[in-house]
Amino acid sequence: MFRTAIRNLWSSPFGLSHSAPRVALAAVAVATALGFAGGSALAAPVRGGAANIAMIGEPQTLDPMASTADLVGIITQHVYELLYTFDANWNVTPMLAESMPAISKDGLVYTIPLRKGVKFHNGKEMTSDDVVASLKRWQDTAPRGKAVAKEIKSLEAKGPNTIVITLNRPYAPLLAHLALPNGFAAIMAKDSIATPLTQFIGTGPYMFKERKPDQYVQLVRYDGYSARKEPASGYAGKREAWIDELRFIPVPNANTRVEGSLSGQYQFADLLPVESYARLENAPNVKPVLTSPFGFPYLVLNTKQGPLTSVTLRQAVEAALNNADMMGAGFGDPKFYTTEASHYARNTPFYSTAGTENYGKGDAKKAATLVANGKYDGTPIKILTSQQYDFHYRMALVMAENLKAAGFKVDMQVVDWSTLIQRRNDPALWDIYITHSAVLPDPTLTPPQLGDGAPGWWSSPAKEAALSALNAEADPKKRGALWGSVQAVVFTEVPYIRVGYFNSVTARSPKLEGYVAMPWPFFWNTWLDK
Amino acid sequence: MTRYLASRFAGMVIVMLLVATIVFFITRLAPGDPAAVMLGDQATAADIAKLRTSYGLDKPLPLQFGYWLGELVHGNLGQSIFLQRPVTQALLERAEPTFFLTLFSIAIATLIGVPCGIIAAVWRGKTIDQFFSGFAMLGASIPSFWFGLILMQIFAVSLGWFPVAGYGDPGAPLSDRLHHLVLPSIVLGVVNSALILRFTRASMLDVLGDDHIRTARAKGLSEASVILRHALRNALIPVLTVLGLTFALLIGGAIVTETVFGLPGVGNLVVSAVLRRDYPVIQGALLVIAGLYVLINLAIDLLYLVVDPRVKY
Repeated sequence: MFRTAIRNLWSSPFGLSHSAPRVALAAVAVATALGFAGGSALAAPVRGGAANIAMIGEPQTLDPMASTADLVGIITQHVYELLYTFDANWNVTPMLAESMPAISKDGLVYTIPLRKGVKFHNGKEMTSDDVVASLKRWQDTAPRGKAVAKEIKSLEAKGPNTIVITLNRPYAPLLAHLALPNGFAAIMAKDSIATPLTQFIGTGPYMFKERKPDQYVQLVRYDGYSARKEPASGYAGKREAWIDELRFIPVPNANTRVEGSLSGQYQFADLLPVESYARLENAPNVKPVLTSPFGFPYLVLNTKQGPLTSVTLRQAVEAALNNADMMGAGFGDPKFYTTEASHYARNTPFYSTAGTENYGKGDAKKAATLVANGKYDGTPIKILTSQQYDFHYRMALVMAENLKAAGFKVDMQVVDWSTLIQRRNDPALWDIYITHSAVLPDPTLTPPQLGDGAPGWWSSPAKEAALSALNAEADPKKRGALWGSVQAVVFTEVPYIRVGYFNSVTARSPKLEGYVAMPWPFFWNTWLDK
Repeated sequence: MTRYLASRFAGMVIVMLLVATIVFFITRLAPGDPAAVMLGDQATAADIAKLRTSYGLDKPLPLQFGYWLGELVHGNLGQSIFLQRPVTQALLERAEPTFFLTLFSIAIATLIGVPCGIIAAVWRGKTIDQFFSGFAMLGASIPSFWFGLILMQIFAVSLGWFPVAGYGDPGAPLSDRLHHLVLPSIVLGVVNSALILRFTRASMLDVLGDDHIRTARAKGLSEASVILRHALRNALIPVLTVLGLTFALLIGGAIVTETVFGLPGVGNLVVSAVLRRDYPVIQGALLVIAGLYVLINLAIDLLYLVVDPRVKY
């Protein structure tokens, strides 16, 4: 799920990505990239060298489909590619597909032409057989793929270079799902497909060489890579592997990642504590990179069992919370967070004010009235949180006080992250839990509570109606307004509460040129100055 | 002697069986689920249940325990859920950094602790004694992660003499790998020297008051000979015990230091396994660590025979 940043430990087992506020995010990413790489933008790319990239931990797996952990996606996106990807403005753009799909008038049939001459790392050319086999595996095994599979009626090859996807009903987020590099629909060589994967054979600019757990995952340049011709933009366009070798090194201790960046041992360090920003900014041999916004913390409310099955009491929780205080407790300096009621940032297609009057401002009086109206029986509200992410815990402390002020009794349960993600599957064990997500380009991609069956178990006719309308609409302009309806339902039924946005801090060596700040860092098109 | 060894080994088997049982059930009864950690945040309960089934985690605990014990008898510690390799292999891969780190740390701790302990005992109550006692207090109180970060900032970041973390690039020669162990060894060496210093001092003070030391001095032996040949040898048994225990603890993984310095050692493996709930790795690693602990204790007991001929088994 997410790569959050901010706390000290960063050993996240999730994986999301972020990309929501397309324009805003893109603007920040570009500004950041220019700001930090500007001086060297004119330098000619140089081939060679090896880059040490400090990551927050050991990847759970190297199977890009099996986990939505960011770590897994960040590493494997260099080895595997998707049919589509996102450009710098978060538009879906072809990658292994030759072009955008031909979509039937009823929105049910997607005909996707494939690029010719694309070679896998085993030297074989990619055909529609590989693509169909890969997408079937994604539907069968990947958490995201399984969700999409419900919408797919058939998937078949039409000749060696075309595939056809037929849907049960119009489902506009399909392409965003096919482009998302997280728990992703990676295209694999058909003869390497197995579960678990033992060979990692994709079409990416880097190929897998060696994994030594807790030491490194080593990728080397694939000289037979077939690049696109379009100029690079975000994840899209021409990819070139200038650096010979990428070493993704697990460094779970955030302070060690900071020190390693300052000493020059790491050419890139992911997700650093915000407290280190000033130090990094003043150091001559390292450049901090601020990605803003990066993610959002959110609270999931249990709609299946316990006191919060009452919509009125969930609204009381919403009214009681002071989101600004919670963000301040979680992230400290406002440089690293923003409080925004809309679930998507301004200047993005999904920005909406629908329902935002309910965004929590710590109105204890209103909350107390709702508590009384909801006939709260005094059962303690079980808050499930973890100290593995500092900001979760700090926000939980503020939340507990807000709830007490509104008349709730609170039972704080602080557990480790592994325990939390197990317990949240049992509706008897919690009423609210805290988690976070990266901001994603399409609202249907996160949080999982917008789908079916995720902890919280939110299900209602209003949700179904609003989401069905959104999913059926392919026109991006109309989708914005339709998302507003979904957002309004979320603010009214309160299945989850988005608290605000937070930014991430990473660091790169000034010698690492060509780096473009994106939520899931990538290292094709980057090079090391001699 | 043979009888003694036989009884020790028999005891060892019982201890290992107890450890295996306790470790298995404590690990399994702790909350958390490897399948949920592995699949990530988007996984549904059905996905998690399916993965649990594929690893046999849905079977009743006694059945899982019986299966694990059966495999243990055949020398198989199981298969890591996350690393997709046998636990034995994972442990062997981690053995080198932990072994060398332990060796260097013990060497540093001994080189600091024993001479300083002797000096403090010989000059008991003097300034030098107070200085070393203060050092011991400081060494015992310093959190190793803090000390590690300080050394890292000075010697790795500012001076650039040592790498900050890790265990060398892919294919790095042994000399380069050992270079990565210098700072963590100093951290552990200094922290552990405090205990050795205290024990050496106390033990030397005991022995220096003995009759045979007075006799040795009366015979006109030099002070150096009295201290190093007659006193130190007799004072060594408790020091050896502490050294052995420290060695055994470190070989089980210096968890904090390995984590701060990003060393891929046994301690790091255990911590990662606990966070991921990689049951086979937790169980296998703890069992091996317990076994080593018992063996090292046995080795120390046997070493007493060499140091002190009066000891008989």
